[in-house]
Amino acid sequence: MKVTYNWLKDFVDFDLSPDKLADLLTMLGLEVEGMESLGGGMDDVVVAVVEEKAQHPNADKLSLCRVNDGGQILSVVCGAQNFKSGDKVALARIGAVLPGDFKIKRSKIRGEESFGMLCSEKELGLADDSEGIMVLPDELPLGIPLFDALGLKDTVFEIGLTPNRADCLSVIGIAREIAAKLGKKVGYPGHGVVEGTKEIHGVASVEIADPDMCPRYTARLITGCTIGASPAWLVNRLCAVGMRSINNVVDITNYVLMEYGHPLHAFDFDFLSGGKIVVRKAADGECFKTLDGQERSLQSSDLTIRDGGKAVALAGIMGGENSEVTGTTRNILLESAYFEPSTIRRTAKRLGLRTEASHRFERGADVNILVKALDRAATLIADLAGGTVARGIIDVHPKKTEPVTIRFRQERAEKILGVSLPLEEVVRHFHHLEFSCEIQEPGVLAVTVPSFRVDIEREIDLIEELARLVGYEKVPVTMPKVRIFSDRPTAHQKLEKKVKELLVAHGLSEVINYSFISAASFDKILLAEGDYRRDCLKILNPLTDEQGVMRTTMLPGLLETAARNASFRNLDLQIFEMRRVYLPRKGSELPEEPLFVSGFITGGRFPEGWNQAKEEIDFYDLKGIVENIYSELGIDAVGYASSDVDCFYHPGKACSLYLGENRIGSLGEIHPTVQENYGLEKPGYYFEMDFEKLVAAGTELVSAVTPSRFPDTFRDIAMLVKDDMDAETVLETIRQTKIRELKGVELFDLYKGANIPEGEKSLAVRVRYLSYEKTLADDEINAMHRKVIDNLTKKLGVTIR
Amino acid sequence: MKEKLDDLLRKALGELAASSSDDALQEIRVRYLGKKGELTAIMKGLGGVPAEDRPALGQAVNTLKDRIEEEYKSKLSVIRDVKKAEKLRSERIDVTLPGRRRSIGTKHPITLVTEEITEIFAGLGFQVAEGPEIELDFYNFEALNIPKDHPARDMQDSFYINENILLRTHTSPVQIRTMLKHAPPIRIIAPGTVYRCDSDATHSPMFHQVEGLLVDKGISFGDLKGILTIFVNQYFGKGTGVRLRPSFFPFTEPSAEVDIACVMCKGNGCRICKNTGWLEILGAGMVDPEVFRHVKYDSEANTGFAFGMGIERIAMLKYGIKDMRLLFENDMRFLNQF
Repeated sequence: MKVTYNWLKDFVDFDLSPDKLADLLTMLGLEVEGMESLGGGMDDVVVAVVEEKAQHPNADKLSLCRVNDGGQILSVVCGAQNFKSGDKVALARIGAVLPGDFKIKRSKIRGEESFGMLCSEKELGLADDSEGIMVLPDELPLGIPLFDALGLKDTVFEIGLTPNRADCLSVIGIAREIAAKLGKKVGYPGHGVVEGTKEIHGVASVEIADPDMCPRYTARLITGCTIGASPAWLVNRLCAVGMRSINNVVDITNYVLMEYGHPLHAFDFDFLSGGKIVVRKAADGECFKTLDGQERSLQSSDLTIRDGGKAVALAGIMGGENSEVTGTTRNILLESAYFEPSTIRRTAKRLGLRTEASHRFERGADVNILVKALDRAATLIADLAGGTVARGIIDVHPKKTEPVTIRFRQERAEKILGVSLPLEEVVRHFHHLEFSCEIQEPGVLAVTVPSFRVDIEREIDLIEELARLVGYEKVPVTMPKVRIFSDRPTAHQKLEKKVKELLVAHGLSEVINYSFISAASFDKILLAEGDYRRDCLKILNPLTDEQGVMRTTMLPGLLETAARNASFRNLDLQIFEMRRVYLPRKGSELPEEPLFVSGFITGGRFPEGWNQAKEEIDFYDLKGIVENIYSELGIDAVGYASSDVDCFYHPGKACSLYLGENRIGSLGEIHPTVQENYGLEKPGYYFEMDFEKLVAAGTELVSAVTPSRFPDTFRDIAMLVKDDMDAETVLETIRQTKIRELKGVELFDLYKGANIPEGEKSLAVRVRYLSYEKTLADDEINAMHRKVIDNLTKKLGVTIR
Repeated sequence: MKEKLDDLLRKALGELAASSSDDALQEIRVRYLGKKGELTAIMKGLGGVPAEDRPALGQAVNTLKDRIEEEYKSKLSVIRDVKKAEKLRSERIDVTLPGRRRSIGTKHPITLVTEEITEIFAGLGFQVAEGPEIELDFYNFEALNIPKDHPARDMQDSFYINENILLRTHTSPVQIRTMLKHAPPIRIIAPGTVYRCDSDATHSPMFHQVEGLLVDKGISFGDLKGILTIFVNQYFGKGTGVRLRPSFFPFTEPSAEVDIACVMCKGNGCRICKNTGWLEILGAGMVDPEVFRHVKYDSEANTGFAFGMGIERIAMLKYGIKDMRLLFENDMRFLNQF
């Protein structure tokens, strides 16, 4: 919403600079989002009078003028002929800079010196085209800057209005706010309409068929108008607030719209069949051409303005081409009506047709301003288009609205705002807002709100008004007096942070991808038809198909991140993402949104350097990370199953993660086809785990073990086993040997190749023995170790080397 | 005999002094003090000395032995020191060569800012609450006093799953869910992901907010100012100016936009604050009685305030990020700075 400084001054008398006014408006809740000054830098163009106009001695088409600029007489050469001695003109003095960076200099034209230039409207940027120089009205005072004299020097404020303030969608509305804050009165325009002798009644008529949608309709008839261009002041004002000039009548309706905030519509009366206006719902499927030339298909929920037969306007939104004011229009029926906000909103939204009028009606217009706005426009039309206003006014008002009266408690306001508010001060503020008050009982008021404040319905609304006028800055800063209670972060919150920190320490950087992905991703990651992850939530109105569905797996986002980084030649990537996936669930409207922890690593293991050779990441780097997550969360009964590997993995280099019977995630090398689908050069390794299930299984350390006072002893075993035997089988068999002192076993070597029979591999493990009672003697340990070896050979048939 | 011993001592000391290596010293020590050394030979020869002279002579030999031993040790230590010093000198490395590093990851700036804000409010007794991102119209709009036809719905264009289910457009539904589950007093902070149909340099279709809610008996607008002033001073630095100005949100009344003095120009006016000297960082207000009605709280007995801020906005201010989209492109050259 744009307003200008001078326009506001028409209605309220204030003494603030534009900057101070902007501050005042912003602190009232009418945020000034931008300011623009008009006519600045043109102070050297002044009002001057031509004292003498003489023929230039050396040029037929030029004149030599003596011009008085209020201070001195200057000699000026001029090429235009459309003026005479005694005319007031616009003089650009030496030093003036005209639009287009045109600097006025002292010059000699055909041997005569010229001390300035007489300007045309075009040269001053006041018109696109003009003939001759600008001849000014006689009453303009000499010597003052032209833009001041014409009232063109102004400041435009761009105000960001909140949707509740329909009353401020006008110059008068904003002037009212300024007046309320400063404790001044708004000088509303007078409304004396000079009427002709012809009666409107009997010539025009209005009927409201749907009073719920249109509770009031007023109209005036102006006959004998001449449609033409608007005067400069009107064009300039409209232009300043961002409206284009059309013709004098349309401009006037727009001017009154900006001034009062009430939309008017001018019909060419001669096109209204029978001189009739009927306000009625459209027929379903009815076609109607709005004045922007668009054919619109209407429904029975749309309200139309019709004449004896056809629709002539889409009520409150836009007029029709068939009754538009044109250059040949003579007689005008001027509409000022009130339409129900929800009706206008529904239609405007459905048709995607948002206009200045619909914007105001759907936020709530003022039902009591109709006649004032109508009279103001009728007067202006009579003045500027030379018409005669018919006697009388049509005012059909089938549904009256009662003014709103609200009970206000002083004590409640003080409690909510935390500031003391003497009742006299409260009443004063309400009066400034044009609210009327009546004291009902001590500390309680009955406040009646004017019809333009459609946003004020409850006591709390009144309290907010007080807060605005008192000023938020006047409310003292206090600290809440609250009841003490304490809550610690939940295990979930603590562990989430812990896992993120663990991954960061492992060299993984956190990324955040959009929660929505492309539905095509499921094919790209080779998900089988019928995979539960294809069952995803679709967004009805996505910005692009790339953001069409809610993710059910973290993989596509991480792969896209990898691809994006690869395009910047960053091929070494270690990233994680800990965010939600969205899984529809049966019997519930809302999906499940488990938090998933996921990671993707590819490329070099460590930063390559002068003392660090390049090593490529492999499956076990990834597995190590997952193992550390488990151990950080105190989870040890974990399972790795290579039997039900997800399709997006290399079938031989991946596994599913189990906690008991519960599948909680997976890890592995990305399938080469998936890698190709995302254009990745190097193998990538991915894991994802359902963090909710991890948290549920997580344990906290409850009692710490005291270490033995005796030393650990280690014994190694080297063995040959079948190539397809999992190392875990060997380790688990050793762990299962019933020896109290056996405290652990680690695999420290794995070898295949030379000296090892085909189809076998060599494993070497280190077994740890420890007693809490004594230092174990060699022969004791040897006996235990022999038992371990016997057990291994007996159960697994391994060959000890 | 005495002379012989003196000669021997002079000779031994001279040799020790002249020697320059560990080995040479060892050799001297053996030659004089070893089992087959000269002193041993003399000791053995003591048998031929008259008995009355023997103790004195024995004493003299021992003194001599101690003297040589002492000299040997001292010389040895000098030689070893020299050698060690030489070794150390020769072992010098180029300390300007880069160290051997394991890379450390980084948290995403959104996480960093969220954690920092949450921590400040946790210190003020606020408990972290969460809610679903895919939300029912009731929690996202209806219960927050934004009915179907309300113009305020224009302020937040939503992504819909169906007519009744949408991606939440703000974290405010967490307020409703919390109040429906718990009786007052309530003191929560709710960080989370939110969605709106918007994408340009300052808007992302997915972004993050932190919501705060405090409900108890006797909570006032002044208390809201108090809590927010503490937050601003802790997050943006002591003495940062705070300004509340009237605004509109359907779920609070009175409502306020909260500005802080521009962190770039300290309030003097610059490009970042569009010459106003102020930066808008959050929206706040007193919980609207209509919201209390929806969660069946007695709005006469309880009052409260709510506030919400955009994490991206704060991260962009804090780190001077000009384009919001950078936060979701996950370019490591950007993320690895944090």
